[in-house]
Amino acid sequence: MPAADPAERSARLAASLARVALADQRAFAALYGQTSAHLYAVALRIVRDPAAAEDILQEAYVSIWHNAGRYDAAKSQPITWLTAIVRNRCLDHLRRRDLDTVTLTPIDDDAPAYDIPDEGPAPPDLLLQGADASAVRACVEALEAGPRQAIALAFFQGLSHAELASHMRQPLGTIKSWVRRALERLKRCLDGAGLVR
Amino acid sequence: MDLAHPERRERLDQLAAEYALGTLRGRARDRFARAMRSDPVVAEAARDWERRLAALAAAVPGITPAPRVWTGIVTRLGLHGAAEEAGLSWWQRLGFWRGFALASFAAALALSVLQLSGPGALPGETLVVVLAGPDARPAMIATAARNERVLTMKPVIDADPGPGRAYELWALPDGAAPQSLGVIPRGGVARIPLRSASGEALARIPQLAVSLEPAGGSPTGAPTGPVLFTGRVERFY
Repeated sequence: MPAADPAERSARLAASLARVALADQRAFAALYGQTSAHLYAVALRIVRDPAAAEDILQEAYVSIWHNAGRYDAAKSQPITWLTAIVRNRCLDHLRRRDLDTVTLTPIDDDAPAYDIPDEGPAPPDLLLQGADASAVRACVEALEAGPRQAIALAFFQGLSHAELASHMRQPLGTIKSWVRRALERLKRCLDGAGLVR
Repeated sequence: MDLAHPERRERLDQLAAEYALGTLRGRARDRFARAMRSDPVVAEAARDWERRLAALAAAVPGITPAPRVWTGIVTRLGLHGAAEEAGLSWWQRLGFWRGFALASFAAALALSVLQLSGPGALPGETLVVVLAGPDARPAMIATAARNERVLTMKPVIDADPGPGRAYELWALPDGAAPQSLGVIPRGGVARIPLRSASGEALARIPQLAVSLEPAGGSPTGAPTGPVLFTGRVERFY
């Protein structure tokens, strides 16, 4: 995706979405071209299965085609709206998969629930990269290492509290309070920096 | 749900945060999603959190999905107009074929094996294309003598297109739409007739591709199904 001015890019995406709501197929193709690489990467990080990520991406764009009229530019940025659609489908997929396998897999408290892939930036680094362009960086850096990693793994790889506990080898209660405290601190810091209108 | 009441504000915010982060799971997630749909205060709390976390999501480096994702979307929605055309010119513009870089590595490997298989394996001036999928496994090998008007297709893996489907072979010129070379006949080694001698017919064609089409081939003259295999045209002359 070209590194255009974010505001300009948002405006372009919002315009595409508005035309998709009117069943404009060309606008839909353009929207796909502008957003699919980002959304696919988001899905792949969470579900860690290219075939499942492709299915989710297809379902998401089918849903976008049908629901573009419900996008409200006054309430959220287009990429935020699109990413939420994909993330929610990913989490639904993880949940269905867990339901399918829960009776088949013996519970092993010592083993991580998933192998975390080594390639690419680690989630905590991603958290800082994401923060790079803005004041968000300071907010992320202000978090302690454990809570920061918990937030990153949950956000970028879709780990649940139980999976975080297993992966980070911490009691579930510790994980829950890390996540809660980190979110509270992020909120205060981000809102203080004027990042949420 | 009384989550919107002021005294519940803090709890609402926690739930919204965990919803956006993704750690709110199972029935609790479903309940929250239902509340979002019926209660604008709940919806706004969730949107605020999605917005906060979106600044972070922007860091994920993009990965171009395989072309079949777009063709699948278009097929599911039954869009046969501009979206297909636009989609087509769009993937060409973006160099969608770059996703197959690994495959061309496999092709180069397969090619060296082919050359090692002894004298006579590549008679005279020959053109060879090893077609492979995104998993880099060679699937078909196309060969043609430079001065002959026929391309020989040899399947390497057992890949039947399935009932009511056919494989179609495409020439991919640089910066122009794919040109059909015809449907690949089923079963074993197949011969695809060319309009002129291969040296001429494929002179400005850097790559070939195979797509999955309805029986009889693409009804539109452009690939409509997923592109399964691609390969670089190697010239030995």
